[in-house]
Parts: sequence; C-alpha cells; structure tokens
Amino acid sequence: MTPPPAMSVAETLHPAAEPADTGGSKINRDILRVMEGVSLGYFGLLAIVVLVVAWAASLWALQVYEGLGLAGYSVPIFWGVYIVTFVFWIGIAHAGTLISAILYLFRAKWRNSINRSAEAMTVFAVLTAAQFLGIHVGRLWKAYFILPYPNQRGLWVNFKSPLMWDTFAISTYATISVIFLYVGLIPDLAVARDRATGWRKLLYTALALGWQGTTRQWKSHSRSVLHLSGLATPLVLSVHSVVSWDFAMTVVPGWHATIFAPYFVAGAIFSGMAMVITVMVPVRRIYHLETYITAYHFDNMAKFLLLTSWIVSYSYITEYFVAWYSGVEAEQSAFWLRAFGPYWISTWVMITCNAIIPQILWFKKLRTHVPTLFVVATFVNIGMWFERYVIIISGLSREYDPAVWGVYTPSWVELSILAGGFAFFAMLFIIFLKIFPVIAITEVKELAIHERAHAAEEAH
Amino acid sequence: MPSLLAVFDKPGSVAEVAHRLKNRGYGDLEVYSPAAFPELDDIVDAGPSRVRVWTLVGGLLGAVTGYALTIWMANDWQLMIGGKPFSSIPPYTVIAFELTILFGGLLTLLGLLVVAKLPSGGFGKLSKAYSARFSAEEFGLVVGCKERDVLEVDALLRDYDAKEVTLVEA
Repeated sequence: MTPPPAMSVAETLHPAAEPADTGGSKINRDILRVMEGVSLGYFGLLAIVVLVVAWAASLWALQVYEGLGLAGYSVPIFWGVYIVTFVFWIGIAHAGTLISAILYLFRAKWRNSINRSAEAMTVFAVLTAAQFLGIHVGRLWKAYFILPYPNQRGLWVNFKSPLMWDTFAISTYATISVIFLYVGLIPDLAVARDRATGWRKLLYTALALGWQGTTRQWKSHSRSVLHLSGLATPLVLSVHSVVSWDFAMTVVPGWHATIFAPYFVAGAIFSGMAMVITVMVPVRRIYHLETYITAYHFDNMAKFLLLTSWIVSYSYITEYFVAWYSGVEAEQSAFWLRAFGPYWISTWVMITCNAIIPQILWFKKLRTHVPTLFVVATFVNIGMWFERYVIIISGLSREYDPAVWGVYTPSWVELSILAGGFAFFAMLFIIFLKIFPVIAITEVKELAIHERAHAAEEAH
Repeated sequence: MPSLLAVFDKPGSVAEVAHRLKNRGYGDLEVYSPAAFPELDDIVDAGPSRVRVWTLVGGLLGAVTGYALTIWMANDWQLMIGGKPFSSIPPYTVIAFELTILFGGLLTLLGLLVVAKLPSGGFGKLSKAYSARFSAEEFGLVVGCKERDVLEVDALLRDYDAKEVTLVEA
C-alpha cells in the first residue's frame, strides 16, 4: 500500500482529540455500571446498616459515659465480646492480602476478578477491628497511651509486651492494606475518570494522579505491586501470629501453646476467604458480574476453604492431644471444660461449622454450586467467631485457681455493638461499591487482551 | 517536530513496531496501554525499574529505626522485667520487622510516584496524544520524527497493523 503524502496526513487525519466512543470496552462498561445509579433496594440496605451503626455508636457513647460495667464482665473475665470480635475482624482482613499478595507472587491469575473486593474488605475489616480495641479499652481518651510518644514524664512504653507488638502489627497492616488498595486502584481510577462527569470526574481526576498508562507508569506500577506483595506476604503471616501471641505469651491454660501462630494464621485465612465468598455471592448476583466471577473462581475459593478448614481442624485435634499428652492437669481440665463445661455449645458450634460442614466441599458439584457455597461460607463465618469466643472466654474463665472461676455472659450492649461492627463493615463496603470499581478493570483487561491476541494468532 | 499517533489492538504489534522504529533511529517514543504488558516494558525505558531502590532503602531504614527506637527507649526509661536485659533483641525484632514492612511499603509508594512521575500534568491536564480509548482496550504509540520522515514512519506503522495513524502536533 502506498502511504499518503506528508501533507495529506496532516490535513486529512483529524488531530487526536477525545474520540466520541470512549466506552469501546465491554469490560469497562460492565464493571463501571456497578457504580452507576442507586436503586431503592440499595438505599434500603444502606439505611438499615446505617441505623444499626448509629444504634451501636450511641451505645458505645453510653458505655464511654457509664463505664465498662455495661459489658458482661465478671471476675476473672475482662476480655469479652469486644476482644473476640477484634480478633475475628483481624482474621477477616487476611483474605485480601492473601488473594492480592500471595496469589500474585504465585502468579495465580484467577485472583484478578476478586482481588479488588478482597483488598477493600481487608481495609474495612482492619478499620472495624481497630474500633473494637477502642471500645474494649473503655477509657477511649487514654488509648493513645499505647503509642511511644515523647512526654514530660520521660516514660516510654514497654516493647517487651505483646500488646505493643500488636499495636505496631495492626497499624502497619492497616497502612500497607490502604497503600495496596490505592496503588491497585490508580489505573482503574483513570478508566473511571475518562468516562465520568460532574463530581465524580473531579474525584477520579484527583485520585488518578494524571495516570495515562504510559509504559514508564505501568513498569513502575507493576514493580511496586510486586514489591508490595513481597512485603505484604510476610506481613500477613506476622499479623495474626502477633495477635495470637497476645494469648500464647501468657500462662493461661488453653492459651500457652506454641501452635497458636500458625493456628491463628490458618484460621484467619479460612474466615477471610469465607467472608469474601459471603460478600461476593450477592454482589455478583445483583450486579450481573457472572461473566467475571465464574464457577472457576468459586471452585478455587472453595478449595482454599477446604484446605484451611483442615489446617484448623488439625489444630483443634493437636490442642486436645497436647493437653492430654502434657499431663498438666490445668491444661487437661481447660480442654475438658471447653467441650463439656459451661461453654460447650460454643465449642460444638465451632467444631461443626469449621471442621464438619466444610467437608462437603470435597465434591466439585457442591464447590461450584454458588448457593451451597454461600451457606457453607456463612457457617464458617459463624464458626470462626465462636472459635475466638471459645479460646478467649473459656481460657479466662477456668484458670488455675477454682476459687476465681467464673462464667461470662455477653450483655445486650456488647451484642448490639457486635452487630454494629458487622453493620459498619457492610456500610463501608456498600458505599465502596458505588464509588470505586469492585473488580480490577485493568487486570481483567490484561487477561482478556492476551486471550484475544492468542485467539487471533491461532486463527491466522 | 511532528508526532504521529498510531492506534493498535495488540500489544505484540506495538512492541514489534517500536523495536523496528528504534532500530531505524526513531527513539522519541511514548506508549499508552490499557493494562500492564511485560512486552511493552522496555520500549521507552530499558533496564530494571528504580522503584526497587526505594523499597530497599525503606526496608533498611525501617529495620534500623525499629531496633534503634526500641533499644534507645528501653534504656532511656529502664524497666526491669523478669531480669531480662534492657536491650532485649528477640522481642524488639517484632517491632523492627513491622517497621521494615511499614517503611518499605511507604517508600515503595513514594518511589512509584517519583519514578512514574505522578501526579503528572497538573490537575486534569493530560498529554495531547492521550485519549480515553487508551483506557479502553486500544494501544497508542506516539512517534516523534522530523517532517521529512513522516511518510516513512506512517508506512511503517501501518505495516504493523496500526488501525489508524494521526498527526498530533506539528
């Protein structure tokens, strides 16, 4: 073909102004559509969770005013539902980093459809968990005492305390999770910017930082995601290990075990993956994302559930075995009382939900049957909350001296604030759905374009 | 100096034509891509990304800060606990580890902004050649060349499956 003369290039071809069709990508349209418009159902759901959050917040305010007497604490149990729920939410926060960082390092491309929502859940779960620490300390206005800040008394914090390690681990995890989420979002924010109008245009323009997808930008971006994954992988393993050491470093029977760190990490990934399934099933259905989140994704997530269920089940068995084999009477009675003492219901709920029910996932038909998976994941969420309840409450209630044994029953204030935690998490996620792309557009596109190019080559 | 903007559907075509253009001495290139493709990485800037230096410096800084902070504070306010030394390395390693990750992550973000030159172009101002189709599923290759070379570059771009070629600036 004879190329046109130079002048004709200049004259006939229009300058590269904004083309009329900016939505030439089905992927863009499908995923950005989730952010468009709000239905009555959306408003209704948002209103419900906001009301529950408001109810819980007002009770928290009342508790700050009245004191921790409103909680069901009784000697010797002063770690109750708030700490149980804190550990639960930190556990939930683990799936995001697992999916985003660890699976990224393993080049598991199936993560691309679920990593964004999992990363967002991580951030929201850490925020929810952090609140429960504030709720637990009671005197909220003195919470900053935990930080090593210069003060006129010349005091410094005790870095030998696991609670200090926890402070650093959780704040690092929160910061890295936000960075991970934001770095991943930048190219998608540019996609949204190019198609938005009004206040959204302003918001995405500011947050996209002038991203244009140049090779220099992509190269730095890919390298940054790789490094953040490399940093976040040991971090995710360390965070729940450190949380477990809050318990394992003590001499409380049932807590003082070297198995706690891997046991907690596996439990965290187990519960986190279950929460991703619980949240993504309705989102996929409501926003018609079946093309992007397929049976293949659910099958893989279900396999993760099954694997981590076995690690958790193995840990339960090991705990009981070690208690029996140690010959330490306090350990033996602690574990006997877990199964047959005042908290037996919690223990058997835990075992049923975490060790027995997930076994149906051995069958592929059930792994890929979304309603079944949703039900199993919900049971796992319940079971994992009870696991923390069993460990914390039964441990504290039956220490060495029977004279200070006690029974703890959560108060209605604690249960309301627990519900508020779930509502807070749901509220943030529901708002996120309408402001940010819930599926990583550019990562899905990367796969789609590659597939298209390969298909074209094969056709030739 | 004029610049030609070619639009492609496949990253492979962009990589091939960019390689060819560079061999012919047209080194003033810019690529717009809707997603990350390793084959495009070295077109404009060969060699490893400098973000790694930022991560390394951040991580090292965090580790040093972690140990320095804990050891200095423990010696400044001495708490005798269970006969353990004030400068007790094993527990302080947890803090040093967390700060390694924290500083490493923060400097990685900073490194990304510096190396990728973000934020770029002022608020909402993007380069003339950029268009929203490059955040859809098309690829843009901008080639700066002398006016007398426009024909040759245009032909070359079309030889490699450019869907269209336009002149972006004179």
